[in-house]
Amino acid sequence: MSSGEPTQVREGFLPGAVLPPADHPTSTVQVFRYSAATWNTHRIHYDKDYAVAEGYPGVLVQSHLHGAFLATYCTDLLGEEGRLLELGLRVRRFAVAGEVLRVSATVTSVEHASADRVVVALALTESRCSDGETCVSGTARIEIPARWVQNGAGPGGSL
Amino acid sequence: MAIDAKLVAALEAERGVEHTEELGLVSAESIKRYAAAVGDTNPLYTDSAHARARGHHDVLAPPNFIAAVITWGAGGAYARLREDGTEADTHLPGVPASGVRVMGGGEEMTFIAPVVAGTQLSRSTMLMTVTERASSQGPMLVVRYRDHYRDADGESLMQTIRTVLLR
Repeated sequence: MSSGEPTQVREGFLPGAVLPPADHPTSTVQVFRYSAATWNTHRIHYDKDYAVAEGYPGVLVQSHLHGAFLATYCTDLLGEEGRLLELGLRVRRFAVAGEVLRVSATVTSVEHASADRVVVALALTESRCSDGETCVSGTARIEIPARWVQNGAGPGGSL
Repeated sequence: MAIDAKLVAALEAERGVEHTEELGLVSAESIKRYAAAVGDTNPLYTDSAHARARGHHDVLAPPNFIAAVITWGAGGAYARLREDGTEADTHLPGVPASGVRVMGGGEEMTFIAPVVAGTQLSRSTMLMTVTERASSQGPMLVVRYRDHYRDADGESLMQTIRTVLLR
């Protein structure tokens, strides 16, 4: 969960690096509150009988809540000095409220945007802790201070 | 209605047509509620004084907040909601209100500028592409929409490409 402070992985922003995962324990209360906060009236998120009739074991986590977990993961990495530029995601499997969802990330590229800023591309995955199934796959581009990666960085260009 | 020439023609007629809506005010309260619902305690989203100390007018919206709001405004009367509880207006120009199964096919968001509480938001939606594809359950259409969010001065805040699958 977010504290607003960057996670201590700065030395890890190198291509191929696996970043520490973050777990999000979901609940029916959370899914209800998320529907309320986004004025989402779809019964699949609060009416268990309806969700079961649709073939699911319980009420579903909203696709945008999955997206919010990826967004939070990125902004926790950034702190206040970095910037989230792009986030793309696709929901591949459902998650039922009550599942613990784990977001993990791999650095796919690191490029200089300017002398003191770099753009890091991430491959993101969100999976169900109960069975390891991937619920969401995504990509992000974040811009961070170059000094965060200087330990492993070359002088300009692709690192 | 299934995937047929009439549906394809209805979608093709929407291609490149921009629909602009005034969505209204992004309030500090709505941002703080959203952050609480996500469980994100980042003080830029939750603490107006903290956000001001960092040079912002008020709290900032979490990145996907404005794309996540399903209904801006009050929403329809109960009699107008569909069987699954959703609004009759699907925010999918060219897609009929019933007879087609709509599935999410992903979203790509580009964050241009922070969304600050107090922003008067507008959204321009445009159907970009319609692609027919065979699937194991019969023909399918892949439709891509672009939503462009702007503030009252017309400054770009965010753009998102939504892909929906129709069957």
